[in-house]
Amino acid sequence: MVMLSQLRRFDLIDDQGRRARLRDLSVALLDGDYPPVTRLYFLNSKKKKNSLPWENVTSIDWPNRLIQVVDIDEAQGESTDSMAKEVLLHDGILDSLILDLQNRRATRANDLCLEEEDGKLLLRSADTSFGALLRRLTGGRYGRVSPAAHHDWKYVEFLRGDPEAVRSEAGQHLRISRLPPGEIARLTDPLPYLHAAELITLLADPKAADTLEAMMPERQLQVFEELEEEQALRLLALMAPDIATDLVGRLQTRTMRRYLEKIPRKQAERIIELLRYPEDTVGGIMTNDVVYARGSLTVAEARKKLRGPLQDPDFVFLIYIVANEKSRRLQGLISIRNLITADDDERLEEIMDPYVTTLNPLAPAGEAAYRVIDSHLAALPVVDDEGQLLGVVTVDAAVAQVAPPSWSAQAPRVFS
Amino acid sequence: MTKPSSPQGLEPLDAVDAKILPATPRSIRTGLRLNIRGRSVQLRGLRRSPTGLLRWLAILGPGLIATSAGNDAGGIATYSQAGAKFGYDLIWVMVILTLSFAVVQEMCARLGAATGRGLLDLIRERYGIAWALFAVSVVLIANGGVTISEFVGIGAAMELMGVSKYIAIPLGALLIWYLVIFGTYGRVEKILLLMTLVFFAYPVAAFMARPDWSAVAKGAFVPKFRSDPAYIFLIVGLLGTTITPYIQIFQQSSLVEKGVARRHYGPERIDAYVGAIFSNLMSISMIIATAATLYVVGQRNISSAADAARALEPVVGSAAKMLFGIGLLGATLLAGAVLPLATAYAVSEAFGVPKGVNLDFRRGKVFFSLFTALIVLGATLALIPNVPVMTLFVGVQVLNGILLPIILIFILLLINDKRLTGDLKNTRRNNVLGVGTLILITTAVLTMVGSRLLEMFGVQLGQ
Repeated sequence: MVMLSQLRRFDLIDDQGRRARLRDLSVALLDGDYPPVTRLYFLNSKKKKNSLPWENVTSIDWPNRLIQVVDIDEAQGESTDSMAKEVLLHDGILDSLILDLQNRRATRANDLCLEEEDGKLLLRSADTSFGALLRRLTGGRYGRVSPAAHHDWKYVEFLRGDPEAVRSEAGQHLRISRLPPGEIARLTDPLPYLHAAELITLLADPKAADTLEAMMPERQLQVFEELEEEQALRLLALMAPDIATDLVGRLQTRTMRRYLEKIPRKQAERIIELLRYPEDTVGGIMTNDVVYARGSLTVAEARKKLRGPLQDPDFVFLIYIVANEKSRRLQGLISIRNLITADDDERLEEIMDPYVTTLNPLAPAGEAAYRVIDSHLAALPVVDDEGQLLGVVTVDAAVAQVAPPSWSAQAPRVFS
Repeated sequence: MTKPSSPQGLEPLDAVDAKILPATPRSIRTGLRLNIRGRSVQLRGLRRSPTGLLRWLAILGPGLIATSAGNDAGGIATYSQAGAKFGYDLIWVMVILTLSFAVVQEMCARLGAATGRGLLDLIRERYGIAWALFAVSVVLIANGGVTISEFVGIGAAMELMGVSKYIAIPLGALLIWYLVIFGTYGRVEKILLLMTLVFFAYPVAAFMARPDWSAVAKGAFVPKFRSDPAYIFLIVGLLGTTITPYIQIFQQSSLVEKGVARRHYGPERIDAYVGAIFSNLMSISMIIATAATLYVVGQRNISSAADAARALEPVVGSAAKMLFGIGLLGATLLAGAVLPLATAYAVSEAFGVPKGVNLDFRRGKVFFSLFTALIVLGATLALIPNVPVMTLFVGVQVLNGILLPIILIFILLLINDKRLTGDLKNTRRNNVLGVGTLILITTAVLTMVGSRLLEMFGVQLGQ
């Protein structure tokens, strides 16, 4: 085990006895749980930054702090093309923000710990203790290495804060993607927005869309605008229409129109429909991605028919029964439990609950939100004056309306 | 809520034929008519920031507030002292400083928008831990000094109202600590801000004192150099109180906190400029008001808050002391809370430890300790008996002036780093102005130190 701060006092030495001081190391960041060192960086005799691939290392003489390499003169100047996948340990990761997934917080890497294994040097952990700072400042004389303060690199996520640099890596397997989207979003709250945008770029689309949904509105917009247009469009198509509407409504008119022209027709229509309602009305907080079925269907028919429509929407717990699919005149509702437990040949209109409390799309959002919460139902339907089903206000949307979006949003602002 | 005209939910939906619209439809804003995907729709749900006059109010509003808050105890003392000691002679410094201040503030705002990070974070990330520690120490010394002067200000303000500072300062410290830690500070902040509005009496006083406007103009546009060490000392004080390290950190972090993205930085530039110009107009009016009331009658030195309050006499007469006390109390309590808070915040950020007043002590040890230490230290040092209040105020601003070039060099280096700022990198004109400001400040500081040294060795400069 060796710390980066100690390693930086090692010398490279080749067969002819030429020496150079090791300056930095690069790792292939996305290569396994413990990224291996790929190149060694040093200053050559002309004080120019050079690098050698790890394969040139023949042995490491730990007590004398020497790294034996084949030929120092074989080194190349700095190359930029490989840097997309590789990251420098000293100039890149050290002192930067890292996400400590075990403790669910952002912190800074004060030192890095490497270990030799099977002829490779692996990045094992990040040291976040104050002792590590002392060690670096005193050239290793003080500041004991205490493994207790080390964060296993397996549970660390590093972001470089440059969404453009990682575009080619999109969809990479990130450790952070094992967390639920809301937790990922909270973790990125203390990060600069460019780091958050990089994370969204790297996540697979469905996870990215869910994470984006869970971010706070301002952050959402900042991150969204940093994304490449293609990805932005894909995410917009995947997001819940009500949240997508809030986001699209904040974009500049020209951008908004371009995006609405380009996303799949169905989602675009949902968003445009929702954009018609002012923010502070029921229409402004409802979602119109709901599952509905004709009352004359039998349960068996409905199960078959709804298999598709039940796939995508976030809200599927209640199924609304309408007179016919075109007019969508609301008649009643059944729960998904009813649908599963009822007999095959019963008609939906026989098992539905015809006593339904509805909301008007132009009623004030605040009061409607309390009605939804007080109803103890998963949602209340929104119906226009012709009785047509327009959407639902879910309990999530209602809570978001009456409570701050997150406990962290309650933190008083310090600077503005 | 308007009562629905139908028995909602009591009858099956099919039996309900009455309209369920609210009895009186609410008026709805028109929104924007757009043609999208071949359909013409009226979009009322757009979340738009205000435009036109509203936008200007939105810009000027925070600017006004920041100005009255920024003119804290040290600021008021320094401007008053400049006006009393040298009349209109130092206004030219403020005119030049307005340009410098605007340029520096704009650079900080741009740095915040381009990187989404605070100043100390960026120093740590770009230049490593040693430089970061150095910058943190500079910030701690500068802000610690200002914090002391805020507590001295609380004492002085309360003494104007007849309360001993030995009671006022500990109480003030306790109050600030309690309000911030227990999260009720946000509500109190508005009251404090309201109190500082008193200082808008200064521009009025500047006019009502009927200053000699030709002398004011001469003072503003004809630079006058004197070899008087007190003159140079005050110039550095003016520099330090106008372009303060903590205001720069503040400016940058507020852009980050507001969530301004690099793509939308453009209009924010105006905010930075307006804020800077406004703040300096206020400062200049303080100098004029004091010069026109105290300097002209021959009172050339301000030794207490009561003296400084006299500049407001043309407006409010005998109530000047009371009014000045209220304003000073508001401003100092405000700065006494915000300064330790912002310092603890920025330093915690640079070290990557949890920060924020919504944490409990166990999780935010460093943050809370730092915050508490700054308040305790500030309040304790402010309690030392027989401190020459005005000298201390101006002295702290001079210290700020001395530390300023260090922070400024970091800002200039960072804003010119294309890897960080990209398209928002400094233009050549910005660099010329920025480096010009740096040279100006460094020269002033060196001249001051030089003249002090000469003085120490007994060399008398010609008056």
